[in-house]
Amino acid sequence: MPSCSAKCGRNAILKRPKTSDVLCKECFFEAFENEVHFTITRAKLFTPNTTVAIAASGGKDSTVLAYVLKLLNEKYDYRLKLLLLSIDEGITGYRDDSLDTVKQNRDDYEMSLKILSYKDLYGWTMDEIVAEIGRKNNCTFCGVFRRQALDRGANLLKVDYLATGHNADDIAETVLMNILRGDLARLSRCTSIITDSGDGIPRVKPLKYCYEKEIVMYAYFRKLVYFSTECVFAPNAYRGHARVLLKDLEKIDPTVIMNIIHSGETMKVSETSKMPKLTNCTRCGYVSSQEICKACVLLEGLNKGLPRLGIGKSSKVKRLLKENEEKNKSSGICRGEEDKTCLCSGTDSMKPVKINELVLKELRI
Amino acid sequence: MCSVGDDDYDNQAEKTMRKESGIKLSETCNKCRVEKSCVVLRGKDAYCKNCFLIGTIHKFKASLGKYRLIQTNDRVLVWYKVGHPSTSLLHFLRSGLDLMAHKRLRFQPLILFIDDQYHLNVDERKLLLEQVKKEVSSFDFELHCISFADYITDPKKLPELVTTNIISEDDKEKLDYVINKKASKTNKNDIKRLLRRQLLIDVAKYYKCKFVFTPEISVDIASDLLSNVSLGRGSHISIDTGFCDDRDTEVKILKPLRLFDMKELAFYNNHNNLEPLSVRQIEVNPYSSVQDLMTKFVTDLQVNYPATVTTILKTGDKLSLNKHIDVHCRLCKGPIPEIGDQLTSQQSTNFSHLVSNEFLDYGITRQERFQNISDKFDQNSDVNDSICYSCSSICNDICVK
Repeated sequence: MPSCSAKCGRNAILKRPKTSDVLCKECFFEAFENEVHFTITRAKLFTPNTTVAIAASGGKDSTVLAYVLKLLNEKYDYRLKLLLLSIDEGITGYRDDSLDTVKQNRDDYEMSLKILSYKDLYGWTMDEIVAEIGRKNNCTFCGVFRRQALDRGANLLKVDYLATGHNADDIAETVLMNILRGDLARLSRCTSIITDSGDGIPRVKPLKYCYEKEIVMYAYFRKLVYFSTECVFAPNAYRGHARVLLKDLEKIDPTVIMNIIHSGETMKVSETSKMPKLTNCTRCGYVSSQEICKACVLLEGLNKGLPRLGIGKSSKVKRLLKENEEKNKSSGICRGEEDKTCLCSGTDSMKPVKINELVLKELRI
Repeated sequence: MCSVGDDDYDNQAEKTMRKESGIKLSETCNKCRVEKSCVVLRGKDAYCKNCFLIGTIHKFKASLGKYRLIQTNDRVLVWYKVGHPSTSLLHFLRSGLDLMAHKRLRFQPLILFIDDQYHLNVDERKLLLEQVKKEVSSFDFELHCISFADYITDPKKLPELVTTNIISEDDKEKLDYVINKKASKTNKNDIKRLLRRQLLIDVAKYYKCKFVFTPEISVDIASDLLSNVSLGRGSHISIDTGFCDDRDTEVKILKPLRLFDMKELAFYNNHNNLEPLSVRQIEVNPYSSVQDLMTKFVTDLQVNYPATVTTILKTGDKLSLNKHIDVHCRLCKGPIPEIGDQLTSQQSTNFSHLVSNEFLDYGITRQERFQNISDKFDQNSDVNDSICYSCSSICNDICVK
């Protein structure tokens, strides 16, 4: 084994994909942590004396994120209050187990943990949704609901920042995918290290420049406990094209990942191109590019026994919603909230629960 | 974190990356609705021979006409590369220049062949050159020709090279002398592309041409675009793969075939009884370089999801250059984007390299150690201002003499 690039005299145990330097365990720890510190300070991610919620899934990225943030917070005196925020999608055999890991993190890192469940927020668990929709399109529900759930959770906990564990591979993959899809709006914002979801709580990605491989190595050498398995509902293939391509590229030259991020950071959308404008959902107030946000559409479908509503063309959805509203006006027959066949819309029964209506005590902590 | 479904369009996979299935085709032409159809494009549109040929010629002229760059009697250097696209291009030009043609082309084309098929032996290359001369003269154009290896060995000799044009045994060695043999194939491909671009511009200037036509078709553009993104050239997409590359103030490089696909041009040649030349090719391992992998990726896409190739092109068309930049890269001549105080992936990589090579002095505190490295980083940060991100990584790998 060659000796460590940092000239400490020890033998190297790993080769860094990012720079091809070889490092020993001790030097790797400090290099990795200093890089995250460098990212946090140079990109001015946090201000002192604020509260940061870490989106914790129990996976490698969020576990390393929680560990490193806690360590840096103490070493470099960020004066941040850190807490963990988990979403319980209600997937038996997947989320139950990973939540145990998150609870382990809570005890190990002495941070408080809040778990928000889909059941609490939307009235449905993923298991129930899968029973309705089948296995093919359930990832749409999970993804749309999770994104909102994290934001709602952050709002509920009144934190100042929401930190997610997106790594360099995730970002590069997203850049490629958005090019393949021609999604300019996402292409132009997917490389930002700080994004605003419209509610004033910035989402930050401190691991944006960390390679997935290095995160795994860090967790492994630090002996961190994380949960590693695929979701039990087989994942949809869309990201697959970009993911396979990126993995192949990485084999040829691992610096490609940083190159792609650089490309994403320096790309400029021409001024003449049309970009969708962000507005607020007319039902739940959540930020959305449509009149009614995707979560409300999906939820309406579920509550009305039309689970496929929202999976398909948005123009079709708009027409259906409009029809429903008119029918409701004329007929006026509704048996209240429990009535899933009623065509009424715009009432509380199909809105996601508003944040101020949630009772904190009822949520599992 | 599970990122599946984050993007809320997983369900639209069928819509955005639609697999072509057996669609029932109409028996008559989609356009005139009279003749029997003989060509099916995009897996769904059927055309008769006449409508297809008219449509293809119109597409070519429309792509030139849209930008209105070329004026009457301008000289245009046409880069001839062996294959269907170049043969079609010659035919488009010859038939467009014809006095009888409808909406006649009014510029003067000059055809250039670059001798760079170094996987062939000298006899094969000589034979190829003869065949190219024959094909080009069959369209009643004169052929100009230049050796790539000789040009990059000494670009100043260009006036001599375009007149003499010697195919010699040691061209491959000349190439290895200029481009570091040990460099990665990805970087070699990239530097060759940059040098070829410079060659086209220099030749165009020598012959007083204001424009250069290159024969890339849609799949070439899509794979170039993805390769360039993977090499960190994202800010140059609009000039590298757009219709017009106007980096040079005197010569503009245009890609008139960028919206065509191979099938269209192959059928066009076939219906016009044109038989393009073919060259022996060596088998390429798609995993040997970024460019080769992208070619494979896009070719596979073209077969299964033809609409995605168009989407990639359209995405590229909606990106632009940052107009207010005066600093240009010395190697690729593209503008270097201003960074400001924003943290970039380049800085992050440089910092990673720095911390990985820094001896950790445990005699001082960790905070002091970080401060030292951070100070050192700031001192080193303003070197090599006139080379862009992507070219600087080539320069580290390849020594351009």
